[in-house]
Amino acid sequence: MSRPRTWAGRARRTGPRVTDPILEIEGLEVRYGPVPAVRGIDLRVGRGEIVGVIGPNGAGKSSTLHAVMGAVPVHGGEVRLRGVAITGGRPEDIVRAGVALVPEGRHIFAGLTVEDNLNLGLVGRRAGNGHQVDLAWIGGLFPVVEEFRSRPAGALSGGQQQQLAIARALLAGPDVLLLDEPSLGLAPTVVETVWDALRQIRDRGVTIVLVEQRAQITVALADRTYVLTGGRVRATLTPSDAHDTARLVAAYFGS
Amino acid sequence: MTRARRFADGAVEFLVPACLIVLVGVVGGFMAPGTEEDFIAALVAVTIVIALHVFVGNSGVLSFGHISFVALGAFAAGLMTIPATVKPTLMPELFPFLAEHDVGNIPSLVLAAALGGLFAALVGIPLMRLSGLAAGIATLAVLEITHNVLRFWEKIGPGAKTLSLVPETTGLFQATVGALIAAAAAIAFRRSPPGRKLRASREDPPAAQAVGINIHRQRLLAFTISGALAGFAGGLMVHQLGSITTEQVYLDLTFLTLAMLVIGGASSLWGAVVGALLVSFLDSFLLNAENGTNVVVAELTLPNGSSIVILGVLLALMLILRSGGITGGREASLPFLRAALAAPPPPPGAGRAQDERPERTVLDV
Amino acid sequence: MSVLQSIVDGVALGAVYALVAVGLALVFGVMRLINFAHGELITAGGYTLALTAAFPKIASVTITVVVCIALALLMERVAFRPLRAASPTTTLVATFAVAFALQGVWLIAFGPEGRTADVLASLNQRVFEGDLDVRWITVTMLAVGGLLLGGTAFLLGRTTIGLQMRAAAADFRAARLLGVRADTVISFAFVLAGLLAAAVAILLTVQRPLVTPTFGLEVTILGLVGVVVGGIDRLGTATLGGFAIGFLTSVLGDALPADERVFLPSFVFLLVILVLLLRPAGLFARPSKTAVERV
Repeated sequence: MSRPRTWAGRARRTGPRVTDPILEIEGLEVRYGPVPAVRGIDLRVGRGEIVGVIGPNGAGKSSTLHAVMGAVPVHGGEVRLRGVAITGGRPEDIVRAGVALVPEGRHIFAGLTVEDNLNLGLVGRRAGNGHQVDLAWIGGLFPVVEEFRSRPAGALSGGQQQQLAIARALLAGPDVLLLDEPSLGLAPTVVETVWDALRQIRDRGVTIVLVEQRAQITVALADRTYVLTGGRVRATLTPSDAHDTARLVAAYFGS
Repeated sequence: MTRARRFADGAVEFLVPACLIVLVGVVGGFMAPGTEEDFIAALVAVTIVIALHVFVGNSGVLSFGHISFVALGAFAAGLMTIPATVKPTLMPELFPFLAEHDVGNIPSLVLAAALGGLFAALVGIPLMRLSGLAAGIATLAVLEITHNVLRFWEKIGPGAKTLSLVPETTGLFQATVGALIAAAAAIAFRRSPPGRKLRASREDPPAAQAVGINIHRQRLLAFTISGALAGFAGGLMVHQLGSITTEQVYLDLTFLTLAMLVIGGASSLWGAVVGALLVSFLDSFLLNAENGTNVVVAELTLPNGSSIVILGVLLALMLILRSGGITGGREASLPFLRAALAAPPPPPGAGRAQDERPERTVLDV
Repeated sequence: MSVLQSIVDGVALGAVYALVAVGLALVFGVMRLINFAHGELITAGGYTLALTAAFPKIASVTITVVVCIALALLMERVAFRPLRAASPTTTLVATFAVAFALQGVWLIAFGPEGRTADVLASLNQRVFEGDLDVRWITVTMLAVGGLLLGGTAFLLGRTTIGLQMRAAAADFRAARLLGVRADTVISFAFVLAGLLAAAVAILLTVQRPLVTPTFGLEVTILGLVGVVVGGIDRLGTATLGGFAIGFLTSVLGDALPADERVFLPSFVFLLVILVLLLRPAGLFARPSKTAVERV
């Protein structure tokens, strides 16, 4: 059982206890040179949950996700997947352990075809674990991706690229799907399509961690949402807080 | 920053390397003739590397072509100091105005500098628009062209043969003064408005352009000054060796001087001086070892070519471990003086050598 | 010399330089590393051929390929892996250092005079009598060149590892986040580079049997120049650049009058400068797509 690392942690509201955490982040610290991005945060993600992480630019949200994936060096704290520490692992190993990231800006390979992009998603799949990747289901989630299979990925619109990026990440058969600002630059109707897909993915048993700048839609979707500012967790919100503007503002700017 | 502090900083930045240079010159005077040659060679190397630093260190653009300015200076100064009575016999194909005249030592050095600067300016006008890889390749092309022309055009020089019978006028005194002149020029340029504008453009080209800095013009100025200093160094070099061949001012010297600059720390004069001296003495030592030498207790004979291997490995190691070089690209400073004048700490970018700033994530390749 | 002869010879030399270019571009693609030491792989191949000259030809060629690949992997592991986070200019200087260090090694091991590698000298015979002088080596150059280039294209386009390499070249971080193994992809690139270097060494020694410490250096300088001139960002443009430099060098050499032929390098490099000024991103690169380094 973990305890808060600092006196400030005791005062922090970490929300209801998570009984079956699949992903735990404890005291995470990330620095870029002398600049601290994440100053010791605790996050707990339960199996089958959708957990949101919101906050303004520079709050450390992306850094947290990248730290989980082993894409940035961790200067303190620990990340545990199913109770096993994965801190400091290499991205290619962490993918194979069952965590996939849909990066901010999607980072699809514009020069390659959609099919090639999807095939790349399969590279990190966990073979030999009895893990079958249900290609049909993923294709059903995002029919537009099937439609454009042999076109260069750069020809897709922003929303379609986002769907491609999610499909690609799912092809690795992850237990935990991390998404970094998937609604960025998308029209509201497209966001709704993506949000709908996320619900279906969660229903399928995949745990989701959703990092976003858009507070309301995230708080409404997620089971719990952490508010991150200045590299620290400030508050935890539940869907009932989604339309309580005063509460959201207080959470963002401290009370 | 107060004027007093600025002046003190500049004085220290010049004086510390200058004292080291003078020290080398003085100590060399007490050495046996063979070793004294090594000291003179070291000082000439310092001059070349300072020339290289003036451009590469301030602009952040890699130049593989600087040795072509050294070559031009060396051949010009060497050619013009060979007595006119002997020249036609040595090199019958020479242009008449080259064969019939000769000049004294100092005029030849001035000529070398002038030619180096002129050539650099000519080459720089088109080339300074380029950055990064394109600039590296373009300057390499200049080196290749210079080497090719000098090697085969017998109207301006000895061609593939050695240019010999050059008076050996570069003694310890002249080499020391030469290095000091180069150091002074380097510091003067570095602290001048063009120098600072150039360094601004190195850190962040778009930002520099946004504040109205004409990067092309600043680079061209640095390139020209650098070329003049390199030509001057070439003049010193030919008068130290007493002869010169095209192969001596080609790829091997390019590699050697680049190693000196990077190992010392490309973006500061202090780095250039330290690197040049260290590598030059190491190289001399290794070359002597290849001929059999006494190392305190035992005889040491290294096989031919070991010096290149060792220097190459050293350079690679330095780049891997500490790409800022020994000095980290920082100029010389005296801590107590700094504290006394309460100077602000150097900006974060000061420690970088001539490469651009890579991102810090593990993922970056 | 007839125009046709010039073209045939030009295409043959272009093929060899294209192979050099591919070796350089593959490594640059996955690592953003410009391997100046690629030439030392070629030199190593040359020396291996010289040392195994007494063996049966097949053995000699095979051993050469193995040695080149082994040296390439060694280079990557020891010198380049630590430099993965550095910028292209830093790594260029570092590979410069490795190249010179290796040249020193050749000097120590084999001396400055060089060794003779006349393993495949029989390829110098003419294919047919007549006005057009086509030797078996020319045919071999074209055949081997075409085969290896085609093979590389197939590998990249139709295999999983090739797909991974293309992805890594486009966006290394995104590729790793999908599970592409950095070490695997990079090692594979070096294996290919070693293979290509061995092929170049084998082809070159037929017409230039004397292997000296700088055997591979000149070819690499021109190859590197060709790659940058063609456009280093994409394999296709880089290869074309290498071919163009080889073709140009050969044709220009034939076209120049005899007493000016010694200035061939000057003409070639002047053209290189011109191209770089007009198209710094590369002659064949698409102007709108690339970030041009120009001020």
